[in-house]
Amino acid sequence: MIGNITGSAAFGLLIVAAIVQILYLLRKDRKVDGFSHFLQLGAALLLFSITIRRSIQIRFPAITNTFESLVFYAGVIALVLFVYRLLAGQKTLPFISFGATLIAVALLAIASSPVAPSEVVPPIPALQSYWLALHVSLSFVGEAFFAVAFVCSIAYLASRDQERKRRLERLTYTTIGIGYPIFTIGALIFGAVWAEAAWGRYWSWDPKETWALITWLVYTAYLHTRFVKRMRGRWSAILSIVGFLFTLFTFFGVNYLLAGLHSYA
Amino acid sequence: MDAVYKFFRSVKLAVVLILVIAVLSILATLIPQQQDPAFYFHTYSPLAARAVIALGLDSFFRSLLFLVPTGLFFVNLSVCTVDRLARRSRGKAKRRHGPDLIHIGLLVLIVGAMFSVFARREAMVYLAEGEEIVLPGEYTVRVLSFEFEQYEDGRPKAWISTVRVRRNGEDVIPSYPIEVNRPLKVNRVKVYQTSYADQARAILVDPEGVEHGISGGEGFTWEGRLLLFRGLEGAAFPEMERAIFEEWTGHERTDVAVVARGEMIGQYRVADLSSRLVTGLKAVHDPGFLPVVAALIIVAAGLSLTFIQKRRDQEGEQDQ
Repeated sequence: MIGNITGSAAFGLLIVAAIVQILYLLRKDRKVDGFSHFLQLGAALLLFSITIRRSIQIRFPAITNTFESLVFYAGVIALVLFVYRLLAGQKTLPFISFGATLIAVALLAIASSPVAPSEVVPPIPALQSYWLALHVSLSFVGEAFFAVAFVCSIAYLASRDQERKRRLERLTYTTIGIGYPIFTIGALIFGAVWAEAAWGRYWSWDPKETWALITWLVYTAYLHTRFVKRMRGRWSAILSIVGFLFTLFTFFGVNYLLAGLHSYA
Repeated sequence: MDAVYKFFRSVKLAVVLILVIAVLSILATLIPQQQDPAFYFHTYSPLAARAVIALGLDSFFRSLLFLVPTGLFFVNLSVCTVDRLARRSRGKAKRRHGPDLIHIGLLVLIVGAMFSVFARREAMVYLAEGEEIVLPGEYTVRVLSFEFEQYEDGRPKAWISTVRVRRNGEDVIPSYPIEVNRPLKVNRVKVYQTSYADQARAILVDPEGVEHGISGGEGFTWEGRLLLFRGLEGAAFPEMERAIFEEWTGHERTDVAVVARGEMIGQYRVADLSSRLVTGLKAVHDPGFLPVVAALIIVAAGLSLTFIQKRRDQEGEQDQ
């Protein structure tokens, strides 16, 4: 599973973290557990160790295929959740941590499936660029924050408690506020610079590029509805959910449904 | 006039236009782009195919359906930016330089992209070792060597075209290895490594006995028809090699001829057939790229500044 023992251990830690979290969620006092975030940290470190080990093997940042991207992405989500718990302390919203942990588990489950071969292979010429490493890694860091925002937005729509909604809405905005600039710089800016160096064209309207732009437009709309016009609430949450679903389609759907320059990604 | 200004100053309009562009872009990715009309009639119903072609969805990002909302967004963004700056100069708005920089960067980006759309030029050439191309400014780029490196499992590791750049008979760059992700920059033109090919060659002799070299993909006219050299068959065994020529009359392919050494094709006798390794180089001149890079830097600076300002605001709120 997940390529090797380290990956399986990370997967196991996240599963245990999710179980601990759900047990605490079922408690009446709604207390925040003091344990699962260390499991998340452990999982993140194990996943990053896979990235580092493979990078040494191929002598290049190991985020050049679907398996490596999923491992890195899941690691960043786990790390973001650990930092969130560390900063929020007892104010942590347990459902958010649980929901995002499940996303990381799902990503690792896909990494262990046949759709993501885990062989260690050095990159083809088009991928041998440090712009690519920056492009991919920052895209996933941004998307890790969007994943947390996605869970917040679902919880927002499901919640009836006004104080809870206010906290969820604020956390959604904060996570998108952090993820948006990182995603913009990684996915769009560094992506364009890499494309120019590799293909002589900074923008080709390739399906993956276009879907990254569509995702960016949705989050741009979110920031404007939420912040500038104070249209906080239902529509902002819906845009946040749609935005994250679009990141998933950009990553998976485009690869398998739409042909283009990013066919190896 | 005031009403028009207010209309374009609207953030609600911005949100609507952003979402309209997003939805239209989704549509465009679901319809294969830049195909022949026959493709759409084969893939969709006749009515849908006609709609795709009539609405320009086959070339969506150059169609009015995309350019009109993008143009409106540009005007909207320009008016919003000017309005924000004007209100700030009158002290009526919070100091928020981050979003201003992002908006200005996006405007520069759109202008730069327009430069690229209308002024970008590119040319693709296939060159064997020893051959050269001439770039604007009388720079000649000669291929000194071409290497194709593979990993042990056969996947490509590197394509390297080592070239020499000369001008007026003097070396400008004595040797430069062009690789994927490592283009050569000469004057305002960049040369990219894009592909390689086994190129078919034929030596044809005319009735006067003069030899003419022809490569796969090239052709000549004979009695009002085009004879196009498509390539070789049976290339694994030199004695069995045959040249494939397509005969075109207007836009219609009327015949295919397969000829061996010594046989006639049109007015020519085929003297020799061979194939050779050629490197695929793409020369690109894009005057829009520099403004786009400037725009991206401005946007990145704006995003960073916005983030810093938000952090300060949050810290201020917590202090209160």
